[in-house]
Amino acid sequence: MNDFRKILEALRNARAEFILIGGMAGIAHGASRLTEDIDVVYLRTPENIIRVVTALAPYSPYLRGVPPGLPFQWDARAVQRGLNFTLITDLGAIDLLGEITGGGGFEQLLPKCVDLEVFGIPCRCLSLDGLIETKRAVGRPKDLQAIAELQLLREAQRPSD
Amino acid sequence: MNEQPHTTVDPDPVVEAYKQDVDITLLRENLRRTVTQRFERHAMLQELADELRRAGRKLRSGK
Repeated sequence: MNDFRKILEALRNARAEFILIGGMAGIAHGASRLTEDIDVVYLRTPENIIRVVTALAPYSPYLRGVPPGLPFQWDARAVQRGLNFTLITDLGAIDLLGEITGGGGFEQLLPKCVDLEVFGIPCRCLSLDGLIETKRAVGRPKDLQAIAELQLLREAQRPSD
Repeated sequence: MNEQPHTTVDPDPVVEAYKQDVDITLLRENLRRTVTQRFERHAMLQELADELRRAGRKLRSGK
């Protein structure tokens, strides 16, 4: 199980710049679909990469779904050389994304964000419209199902005429 | 939460069909909760799902 609160705390305590996207962002907006991992888009500056690496380092991040024992070292150099990382950690699965289909990177997504407070921790989250847009760009059947729910949430929040 | 701008996109027939399967009552319940309560509830349901998976694996293995 994911310890979402601890992951948020770790990123926040390290002053890492990130945006919550994907299923957890959907939950923040009221979606009822369960999700197994946490997806975040991180700012790819050298300083922020160090912050992200520092935040997750105590929780043994390792590439998800690859055989154990591969020469993978969690450090700023590895993150700088790569872009998107699907990780398993002691706190659960986390997808650390430099860019996403249909949304771009942190700076492109920033105008589409809303500010939330979760467990007393301030965090940026992709807006409902931003989520719908990115899921539409990916277009897998599960994304279309998620869009249906997100659109209904948006309709439910609109003031009635 | 900040006010969110709305964009207009032509309805997708597949998405419209999926909407029929969404339980809107669950969404209304969630909208009554705070963001933190939504995450707490998700964690609880995730824990339940993990426990049911464990029970299923145990049943299948016959132990």
